[in-house]
Amino acid sequence: MAVVTTTELTRRFGPVTALDRLTVELPAAGVIGLVGPNGSGKSTLIRILLGLIRPTGGSASVLGSSIGSPAHYASRVGVLVESPAFIPGLSARANLVSLARLRRLPLERVDAVLVQVGLMGRDREPVKRFSLGMKQRLGIAAALLSDPELLILDEPTNGLDPAGIVEIRELLRELGREGRTVIVSSHQLSEIEAVCDHLVVIRFGELVFSGPMTEMMKRTREHIDIAAEHAADTDRLEAALVAGGWAVTVVDDVLRVAAAADRAADLNRAAAAAGVTLSRLVVGQDNLEEIFLEMTGRVDGELANGRAAANGTVA
Amino acid sequence: MFAAVRSELTRLRQPRLLVTWFGLMTLFALMINTIMVTFVSGGGSLPPGAPGVVFPTLASMESPSGLMAGLAAASNMFGIVTLSFWAVVTAGDYSSGLIRLLVAAEPRRWRLLAGKIVALVIVTAAATTVASVVNVFAVMPAAGAAGIATAAWGTDLVPVVASAWTNLFLALCAWGVLGLVIATLARSAAVAIAVGIGYVLVFESVIKLLKDVPSDWLLGTTLNAVASGGPATVAYGTALALALGYVTLGLVIAGAVFIRRDVTD
Repeated sequence: MAVVTTTELTRRFGPVTALDRLTVELPAAGVIGLVGPNGSGKSTLIRILLGLIRPTGGSASVLGSSIGSPAHYASRVGVLVESPAFIPGLSARANLVSLARLRRLPLERVDAVLVQVGLMGRDREPVKRFSLGMKQRLGIAAALLSDPELLILDEPTNGLDPAGIVEIRELLRELGREGRTVIVSSHQLSEIEAVCDHLVVIRFGELVFSGPMTEMMKRTREHIDIAAEHAADTDRLEAALVAGGWAVTVVDDVLRVAAAADRAADLNRAAAAAGVTLSRLVVGQDNLEEIFLEMTGRVDGELANGRAAANGTVA
Repeated sequence: MFAAVRSELTRLRQPRLLVTWFGLMTLFALMINTIMVTFVSGGGSLPPGAPGVVFPTLASMESPSGLMAGLAAASNMFGIVTLSFWAVVTAGDYSSGLIRLLVAAEPRRWRLLAGKIVALVIVTAAATTVASVVNVFAVMPAAGAAGIATAAWGTDLVPVVASAWTNLFLALCAWGVLGLVIATLARSAAVAIAVGIGYVLVFESVIKLLKDVPSDWLLGTTLNAVASGGPATVAYGTALALALGYVTLGLVIAGAVFIRRDVTD
């Protein structure tokens, strides 16, 4: 069963199409990564699912209920939308109590989530004294308050230190194992790769990929990074390899050659034949970030949308 | 809606917010009584376009209702304070981004709006009480020092106090709704406060100075008439009905905008 289904979902803001006939199904249970460049429509999608904004066209459902009636599923959904928002003059506990009262929840849930995110003991301090990382934890606590079936978290590790990131990563995995569905929108692709079972990639409001993370990672390719002993030889080495039919990209003075590990010796011989001594030869594999950049075209969506709007064309 | 009221009341329990709100009510109650008593005992009278303040006559000061005259005299000042805090609380949800969490938790937005209004009305009742108590403790020594006869002030004490409190409370709620409406439209406390103060101190004063233009229907004048229990120029019932009309219109506009508008902040 799908927790979220969208059909031809569209949202326009003036000349900019933030979501363009997006049709996708997100499976129940597990951690789902929602990724895309800035301005790709991730936040718009989340806001539509939460009833914060209305679509221009198409339809969608969350936990089996239409987004036209968000009250039917609001109690089963926990959210952290963009930066955590609280009243700075109130304590962390008071902020959570106010949300618990709004959701008609027992106040015991406040203690439970404070323990869960590691804020018990600091809960009576005003939020204005909290670091960004602590506010982020409080935001996650607020999202967990209703013990939801579906969690939608926008950049949940934003502002956390490395230890905090690992902790939240573990928490997300645990929440997924418990049978909840956690949708994580993030720019930190290493986090997405480490945590998610399912991935959705959108670009310019259109679906680029939706499927299990394992399927996405099948798209990874091996490569070999090489560097000439003398930087001055880099251009000559590149020319020789290209002439020999190798696919080469150059980043700084390192040549990335699309080739399997068992071609390393051939590559070394080709460099030697060109009269270049290698100082480095490392076999590696593309990570999610590299696949993502290849899919989304290394384009900042917000800038592209701005240009499209200025030119009077729809992105 | 009860859940939304309790939730909003929890958020309103901010020490700095309440101390500032009640502190300003106290300050204005002290200030207006001192100035009013000095002014009235000296036989002065304010020009017709005096912004925001309406002083009683000496005879009225020495009547049973003189004890609470300060509340009506400063009602527009109290009103601006109330407008400001309703606006700060309303716009604060947008500036902090809290509105996203609130609407996601309670998508029936009319409940959020109604909960906020009821909670703010409750705090406004407390602020009215603070102003009333301070008024009583400020006017008695000030009147004694200025030689104003206070013998009649004990007559009908409970009805006089209750009526003054109720009238001011109703006027302040209407001022508050105005602040909420402007803050909902502008999503900015600063804009709401500037518009409110500019309207009362500039726009209404200018209109009042224009002799050919009737001014009894103006918002500030109407709410001052409600706060003072109906001055000689405007019937209390008329003022109350007009105020109710303003409040209803404001709530319809704020409600429609709040319920329909995208939450993009």
